[in-house]
Amino acid sequence: MVHRARARRRTLGIVLIWIIAILWSFPLLYMLLTSFKGEADVLPPSLWIHHPTLENYAAVLRQEFVRYFLNSAVVSLSTVAACLAFGVPVAYVVVFGKLKNSDNLFFWFLTATLFPPVAVIVPVFLLFRFAGLLDTLGGLILIYSGFNIPIVIWMTRSFLLDVPREILESADIDGSSRLRSFLFVVLPLARQGIVSTGLLVFIFVWNEFFFSINLTYVSAAPVPVYMASFMTQEGLFWAKLCAISTLVVLPPMVLGWLAQRSLVKGLTMGAVKG
Amino acid sequence: MDDELRRRRSRFLSLPAILVVAVVTQAPILATLGLSLIRWIVIRPDLGITFIGLDNYAELFSSRDFYEVVLNTVVITVVSLAVCTALGILFGLMLNHDFPGVNIVRTLIISPFFVMDAVAGIVWRTMLLNSSFGWNGYFASLLGVGPFDFFGVHSLLTITVLIVWQWTPFFVLILLAGFQNIPPEILDSARVDGIGWLKELVFIRLPVIMNHIEVAVLLGLIFVLKAFGLIFVTTRGGPGYSSANLPYYVYKTAFLGWDVGHAAAVAVVTVAITLIAIVALFRWFRRRIVEAA
Repeated sequence: MVHRARARRRTLGIVLIWIIAILWSFPLLYMLLTSFKGEADVLPPSLWIHHPTLENYAAVLRQEFVRYFLNSAVVSLSTVAACLAFGVPVAYVVVFGKLKNSDNLFFWFLTATLFPPVAVIVPVFLLFRFAGLLDTLGGLILIYSGFNIPIVIWMTRSFLLDVPREILESADIDGSSRLRSFLFVVLPLARQGIVSTGLLVFIFVWNEFFFSINLTYVSAAPVPVYMASFMTQEGLFWAKLCAISTLVVLPPMVLGWLAQRSLVKGLTMGAVKG
Repeated sequence: MDDELRRRRSRFLSLPAILVVAVVTQAPILATLGLSLIRWIVIRPDLGITFIGLDNYAELFSSRDFYEVVLNTVVITVVSLAVCTALGILFGLMLNHDFPGVNIVRTLIISPFFVMDAVAGIVWRTMLLNSSFGWNGYFASLLGVGPFDFFGVHSLLTITVLIVWQWTPFFVLILLAGFQNIPPEILDSARVDGIGWLKELVFIRLPVIMNHIEVAVLLGLIFVLKAFGLIFVTTRGGPGYSSANLPYYVYKTAFLGWDVGHAAAVAVVTVAITLIAIVALFRWFRRRIVEAA
């Protein structure tokens, strides 16, 4: 009797969480669905696709959208490369180095993550204007690197703390140089954490809105700027808008899905261990 | 000798990162402080650039718009973080079971977190909340009532709802990991003692995952305080300033009013409020731990 009541409650809970999940992601599911509708079928809103079509995707892939997409790809990938190249060595120094003030160094970087972008936008805009960096890919890469290097240091540090010190010390005794042990001992052990840190930076940069809208206009503008300017008339071009949106959210979604477990580990460990 | 060499090399290794971060974050923050003390309206070159001391701040603190924006920022932040925490606990508990399709359900709930502001805002604005052509209008006509006014009187609510939609997944990710980390023995011994479900949650599960809750709330606070994209794409802070937060106010003053000094002053106040909020929350968490110990 008790068992049956519990089983029924369990079934109810499962149904409930399925409904919640579908409602929560409904905006995205509906976006995906609409991207396969013909423009004429978009209104009134309905969950049925009368004539499924790929014409929206074919149409948007011929448009200027591709250029914005490439800008986003170049900026995101370059920023990830720069952040890892600059940030990982710092995390290594903080964890394994012999600096007396390595804690101060770490906290200096940590405070940089606390400042909101609005704290710097006015001088950065003026600087970019005088240095000719407005509306350039290089300018965006520079600003994104500055804001994401601290995140890389923070997360990589917590993954490096997991690497046993003894391994490094035994490598020392073997007489291998620090650079060699960094490249061939520490990096492979922390590889998964470093990769997921890179994925997190990619997602942040790919999705970033504030700097891209204020520092680029046309030639270096990434996808978010294009989306913001995609002003449709009421009910017009919604299917194409949905096709573009689907293409745009796909990369971060896939990467985020791949990295979710180590992301949580990096974020919580860094904070719990302080 | 060897150590000295290593120390020098360590410093050399951290130099590039220090340089980039200093140029892009620390130096501009100091510059913002300086700019907040001058009058420089870019579209009025006839006025020139003059040092006016704290006049920008005086002007700011006597403007009603400013207080409205500060209040909006507080409301958005407090309400959305509270709701995100509650929903994060609820969904986290529900996902902490094995059931058919649990991976799909988790993926569906988490997905909004990875969607950029620009897309989230535009999809919600056009297809869902649009009063004549979106689902909002559809349900209104179905029920024979007027559509809900998402972008007029309720614009602040709309922004808060969108932020909750976007950030609850983040809380679920972190809190679910917390629930999964609870050693089963703790729960087993509680069950032997025969305590109820709610008591078990309040007195055992939540205290054990407190660290995770703190991390989620602190990071959530940092991110929600700088919310900008969703507001830009959906309500543009309007009508008036009714759904503008501090970052949007800075943007409007700087890039629509081209008032450099005033915008810098708002930015300084934003940083101050951000730091105060973070430190206060952090202290509160620490004190709770000290008391518990």
